[in-house]
Amino acid sequence: MNDKIRMQVSAFVDGELPDNESELLLRRMSQDDELRSLVGEYIEIGRVMRAEASVAGAEHLRDRLAAELADKPYKEHVEDVAAGRGSRWRPLAGAAVAASVAVVAILGLRQVSDGELDSTVRLADEVVDAVEDSAYTVPPSEDVLRQYVMSHGLEASEHGAVGINPRYVSLEFSDEMTENDAEDSATDDSSTAGD
Amino acid sequence: MNLQRLKVRATAALLFGAAIAPQSALGESISPGEWLDRMSAAVEKTSYEGTVLRVRDDTAEALKVVRSVSDGVVREKVIAQEGNGLEIIRIGNEVHCILPERKSVLVEEWNDQSTLFSSLPSSDIRFGSEYDVAVVREERIAGRKCVLLAIRPHDEFRYGHRIWLDKETGFPLQTKLIDESGNTIAQVKFADISLEQDILPDALAPSYDTASFTWLTEPRPARTQNVESEWQASEVPAGFRVVSVHGEEMPGNDGLVTHMLFSDGMATISVFVAKHSGSRVEGGSRMGSTNSYSVSTEEHVVTAVGQVPAVTVEAIARAMRRIQQ
Repeated sequence: MNDKIRMQVSAFVDGELPDNESELLLRRMSQDDELRSLVGEYIEIGRVMRAEASVAGAEHLRDRLAAELADKPYKEHVEDVAAGRGSRWRPLAGAAVAASVAVVAILGLRQVSDGELDSTVRLADEVVDAVEDSAYTVPPSEDVLRQYVMSHGLEASEHGAVGINPRYVSLEFSDEMTENDAEDSATDDSSTAGD
Repeated sequence: MNLQRLKVRATAALLFGAAIAPQSALGESISPGEWLDRMSAAVEKTSYEGTVLRVRDDTAEALKVVRSVSDGVVREKVIAQEGNGLEIIRIGNEVHCILPERKSVLVEEWNDQSTLFSSLPSSDIRFGSEYDVAVVREERIAGRKCVLLAIRPHDEFRYGHRIWLDKETGFPLQTKLIDESGNTIAQVKFADISLEQDILPDALAPSYDTASFTWLTEPRPARTQNVESEWQASEVPAGFRVVSVHGEEMPGNDGLVTHMLFSDGMATISVFVAKHSGSRVEGGSRMGSTNSYSVSTEEHVVTAVGQVPAVTVEAIARAMRRIQQ
């Protein structure tokens, strides 16, 4: 697989691939097991790096993806990649969870309560076939949803809302944002020092 | 020492409870509305120190919580007992989130009067239309006698609530959010608590020397107040109405995102309307007990977010229409 395709997949996972190219990539994914596997890897790498499991059902999804998309044990493979990760993986982290949500939608998997996947999930090829027959859709990115949840928590609190946790939830998200800021800051500092 | 005091208080409460009439013990002489009034007052004015268990999605975390109210100024300290050791210090409207592993402090401004655990229903809610409220029974939580209030929705578009109120003070010792199948989807519970005690200043001080930490300020996004929205819901679940509309700056959006807040008096749902960019969007997701649903319509992406069942956010997101000018 050439670097151009890899870059396309990377951009797709980051939600930065233009619509027309995304559509082409999706069509290609329907025909190409290796490509689908690569998309899954990129998404999973981001999750591993962030040590994040905020997408309900993601753990189950990983196993299902492993069964559907790859010949080898998925987790083991991902850990191998993650262990040897370098700076080139870093840009993937920010939107990784968002992208995993996107793939959930693309593959027709539906998240349900308690982190369990719906028993009626449709997987891989048959769903991708269905995707080809209609315009595909994706949920907003996880980052956008986080912003919305935080903003909702603030607004709801100001209107005396019920919900014991909105403040705490927003603070948890602030925690994550700060960690990102700290990483960015560290990167900036090192760049400056290098100059 | 606090434990001993708690035991004494608990014993006193028990003896006091046994000494009064049985019907009073069941809270029959106090209406559910009056209990909610007591709760509102207690949450606002009570100083306390305790350990809170927060449970969601089969995971539990413990938080040490200290709160004091003095001369109208609320001071709070919350320490996560596991994980990254997050510590939150609030003095009035200023909040410091201390991240010891990161050696950083995030400073926030809270303009409202809410507290970390105070967002609870009040007696202002119109019970009888969308919800019923009843005193169910007496129980014991954190060693204290309490009454259990059940707030039950009339339909599948909202969650139910169970609230255990300290019988002596009306302070909420446990709350549960109940889904349409009767399952608990989130709960907060005091494992131990000392109410109405004098909180020493040291108990509210940071546990870390933050002098060498990096201090970060998280500015609140720019927003407009009470804008006239171009959007309205064609049909929403009974009881929900718009309580605020404003424009809000959001990362990744050039213009302001319209933010509408719907409420039925208890549950709230935010609807965000952003200009369409990129792929068509449609689908739902869940973060903890918060559901969201997004649809693309009229060159915009509409996303409904709230601590309500998935069917509710989907219904409201799908109901949004642009008003023809």
